Amino acid sequence: MIEEPFRFVEAIANRREYIETQIASGSPIVALNYGGGVLLCTLGRERQKIFEVYDRIAMGAIGHPGDIERLRMTAIELASTEGFTRSAGDVSLRRMANYSISPALKAAFEQIYGAPYLARVLFVELGAEASQNTFLRVDYDGSIQTNGTPFTKSRTEFAVLGGTRASAELMERFLKEKHHGGATLKDALDVALDAWTVGYLALDASEDEAETMPAEDKIRDTRKEQLAHATVEAAILEQGAASHITFRSVTEEELRPLLGDNA
Amino acid sequence: MKPPFLDRAASGPATDTRDAGDFSALLQTRGLHQTYDPSAGRGPIGGASAVPGQTQATTILAFKFADGVLVAGDRRATAGNTVVYDRADKVLEIDRHSVMAIAGVPATAWEMARVLEHSFQYYRRTQLQEMSVGGKVRALSKLLRDNFGFVMQGVGVVVPLFATYDNGPANEAKLYFYDVMGANFEVAEYAATGSGSPAVRGVLYYENTWGAKPLHEYTLEESLRITLRALDTAAEADTATGGVDRHGRIFPVIKIIHAKGITTIEDDTMRGLFNAGRLNGPQPLSAGVPMG
Repeated sequence: MIEEPFRFVEAIANRREYIETQIASGSPIVALNYGGGVLLCTLGRERQKIFEVYDRIAMGAIGHPGDIERLRMTAIELASTEGFTRSAGDVSLRRMANYSISPALKAAFEQIYGAPYLARVLFVELGAEASQNTFLRVDYDGSIQTNGTPFTKSRTEFAVLGGTRASAELMERFLKEKHHGGATLKDALDVALDAWTVGYLALDASEDEAETMPAEDKIRDTRKEQLAHATVEAAILEQGAASHITFRSVTEEELRPLLGDNA
Repeated sequence: MKPPFLDRAASGPATDTRDAGDFSALLQTRGLHQTYDPSAGRGPIGGASAVPGQTQATTILAFKFADGVLVAGDRRATAGNTVVYDRADKVLEIDRHSVMAIAGVPATAWEMARVLEHSFQYYRRTQLQEMSVGGKVRALSKLLRDNFGFVMQGVGVVVPLFATYDNGPANEAKLYFYDVMGANFEVAEYAATGSGSPAVRGVLYYENTWGAKPLHEYTLEESLRITLRALDTAAEADTATGGVDRHGRIFPVIKIIHAKGITTIEDDTMRGLFNAGRLNGPQPLSAGVPMG
């Protein structure tokens, strides 16, 4: 099959379509700057989707749990060994993604007799100040999208992960309008959940529908409906944390008053 | 070059869970951490004094008091007769609830602390749960045991104390000391190791047995005062112990492990308490602060 180039292209295209279908139903993940650092947030039912990678790095992922787990282990292993042999300051999301994770994903994706990773990952790295926070998305084929390149004119203050391209784009559009980096945790969570709802609605919508922003009351109703039978999973990378470990999960008790009557 | 983990990633999900969350094993596989290889066949080259230039850190103590565990160490590091460093930190935070204090060779001890710190974090991050107190105590045991080959060669003797807070059902502070081979002993009241430890043990034993009340009933202030006095006493006869250096304004490192985490005591607090004591304080000798 691989001897013939056009068959290779066809195989890759099939593979892409297969993976996209597998990932498509994933519950979106939203990460955004707020006054105290970065908030990562999603709604889920059965398993954890937001994880700590290292002192200043967190990840969220959608896809197959087994593949997410392999990528998570890889990231933690890379960061931990680097942090041990050099120092915590040498652990860098940019290096980790560019030199290790992306090539591994690409290799697995293109070796068409092997299994690809059915996963899409969002990494967040807390910088020295809010303007240096890095959001980096690695796709199943190894392609990287990030705000963290030195030549980027203005760094975006958020990033999303969606099951489909349309869903992610709509969430980005929503956040570009509604989000500002200095928000309180309560407001940030509010915007994040709205963005999640926008992304969620786009998953089920037809192609045309998925391009139009849902009305405000539609967002509010859907969000209420979803919150009724799914749990909010949230974690933060805390700017100026007392310890060098900045990641912490937002506990249920902490969430309840934050959600307030909006829940 | 191929990223090292690719082999593993390509071979599919790990089917062997024996090493899951084990950072030491990861370092071994990667060749990132040297341990003594007994098959190399090098015999002992002498006692603990075989390498005269070896830097040593001395005198650490720990005891349980009303709020948790106090762990303290003086700041001096010596090599033979020479003072190498007067600001050594022998009380090291390993994670949010654990502290390791070291007497012995800092080169080995600091590396052990580094491995330990990363082991606990690595376990917590990969396994998504905190390592149990038993697991943590055992991890340090294993590091000491791996180091025993070096000890037999007369280098790298380390005798640590380990204090942690068990947030489980027991909900209490735990304190352990170790021997050079890695045996761990749980401490009920107090422990001290290093060259100045006989004097420290004398002070702590006396106060615990014959003082106004046992150590475990001490308030924080009382605990800090007895700690400063015990280290000062140890430094009186032992040149390798720094004690409290009033001229250089160098105070010991004292950390408190309690239910909410770890608190490091500020120098100013120690200065106030120490000066209020009988020794060189502003008060006349007869107005010494009574213990308890």
